[in-house]
Amino acid sequence: MALDRRSAINSSATHVFQVLRLVSEAEEPLGVSEISRRLGLPASTVYRALITLEESDYIVRYQNMPRYELGPMPQLLNRALVHRFKLHASARPVLRTLAERTGETASLTVRLGWYGLRLAGVYGSRDIYHRDRLGEVTLLHKSLPGRGILAFLDDRERTAYRAFVEAQGAPSGAVDWRALDTRLAAARNAGLEHEVLTADGLAAVALPVRSPDHGVIASIAINGPVFHPGEDEPADGLRAQRQLEAEIATAPHEFHSPFAHLAVDEIVIRTSPLDGR
Amino acid sequence: MAAGSDRELNKATVRVLQVLSNFASDVEGFGVTELSQLLGMTKNMTYRALTTLVEQRYLSRDADSSRYQLGYRILELQNPHAIEPDLRTLCAPFIRRIHLLTGESVTLCVRAMDYCVLIDGVETRRPGVWRVRIGDVLPMFALAAGRVMLAFGGDEALVDYIGRNRPLRHPRTGEQVSVDELKGQVALIRERGYARVKRASTMVSAGFPIWDLEGHLHGAISVGGPAERFEAQLDEQLPELLEIMDELNSRTRLFSANAAGSELN
Repeated sequence: MALDRRSAINSSATHVFQVLRLVSEAEEPLGVSEISRRLGLPASTVYRALITLEESDYIVRYQNMPRYELGPMPQLLNRALVHRFKLHASARPVLRTLAERTGETASLTVRLGWYGLRLAGVYGSRDIYHRDRLGEVTLLHKSLPGRGILAFLDDRERTAYRAFVEAQGAPSGAVDWRALDTRLAAARNAGLEHEVLTADGLAAVALPVRSPDHGVIASIAINGPVFHPGEDEPADGLRAQRQLEAEIATAPHEFHSPFAHLAVDEIVIRTSPLDGR
Repeated sequence: MAAGSDRELNKATVRVLQVLSNFASDVEGFGVTELSQLLGMTKNMTYRALTTLVEQRYLSRDADSSRYQLGYRILELQNPHAIEPDLRTLCAPFIRRIHLLTGESVTLCVRAMDYCVLIDGVETRRPGVWRVRIGDVLPMFALAAGRVMLAFGGDEALVDYIGRNRPLRHPRTGEQVSVDELKGQVALIRERGYARVKRASTMVSAGFPIWDLEGHLHGAISVGGPAERFEAQLDEQLPELLEIMDELNSRTRLFSANAAGSELN
């Protein structure tokens, strides 16, 4: 494992962040020896990193055992990052109305490089509802709201997206690009991305949200309604889409991503394999 | 495993994490000088911590203003299985700090209909104790925390509350508060930003609002004790108490008070 040896502060901080990232992506709480084995670091280094992280609320012990899981501080930082997007505040009243009218979970996902970041959401009133998580990040093709953005990018951008995913080391055959292209074309024709998850009896739609100067910057998703493209139209969703687009059009520059100054390929985020399912 | 001691912790890395933690607030960004003053670190130490965090891409530096802001890599630090922090989790470290500062009992209350419900707190170990019983349901007009919630709930809601609850008599102690007295208190709380209550000349408490991102209240925190012991101490410690509450509010303002069950948290 390559370490940054330029200074003591960097080397120690590097170990601490390695441990923190491992704990944050683990499916279950981890102990010293497991972390030590997975990172190839001495147990004493891992132990020091763990108590340093625990002291600062970045990790917590799991049920008083010597095993650790993510603590409240990273969640607070995630929440603070979400607040940097102006759309977080603007979308919430629109989503509230949408959730009230449909009774379903309504959420907004913004484009961040080649990823979709769930920025806001409101639960509806139905007994069975779809649970979403604020701050969830997935590659665009991996989630319905992400595809609700990807489908409406132009051909050049979709080609660049494929190159990006392949450059990130996606195993050959991991993405069926032909099937994805067919699906995205259908979404463009319908004006929305639609999915029926028969296993749990839920369905979902995602509608693109456009900015006058940046094209598609987000998508509104409604999880729950059974919708038949070509026959019905999700009137409440379209109303929310138009309302948000009208607000963005009043001052488009204010709705730019706080990371708009970065080249799109420069934004590389290690996403959780558990997200976007 | 014992709790971390100074010997075991790497102080430079602790500083890096302290600097990063400061960004968990509703403040858009910080400059080096501002952060070093906030954290009591030298500018050199702060700058080195910031540089490490920029290298790790947890922070980014604004090219125009030399201010630092959260970087997108923060998004990697999340786990779908993690439980989102609720109000008690957010407030717990601050309740401890207020208790450590004052040595007195501290409570966290939320509003349920016309009552304060005590959902968390710490009871002092000193003789002469302001009782903290989790789950207690108490009339709002009688408590510093309750008066804070009445003061910041709006004029119409206050009038409705008084209409529903007059005469304002405490069911357990029989103590009565006049409507004019309550209205006077509410005006003072709105002016000061906190409540200060002296009951029956024996007990003094201060109540502080806990704000959400839309300017509504999550609830209120109060600290109190016997007047003889705590009254003068409260005057002296008030600035520090307000600083602690400012820090807590910079975090609670990241959440909506309507979130429970209705909005993604």
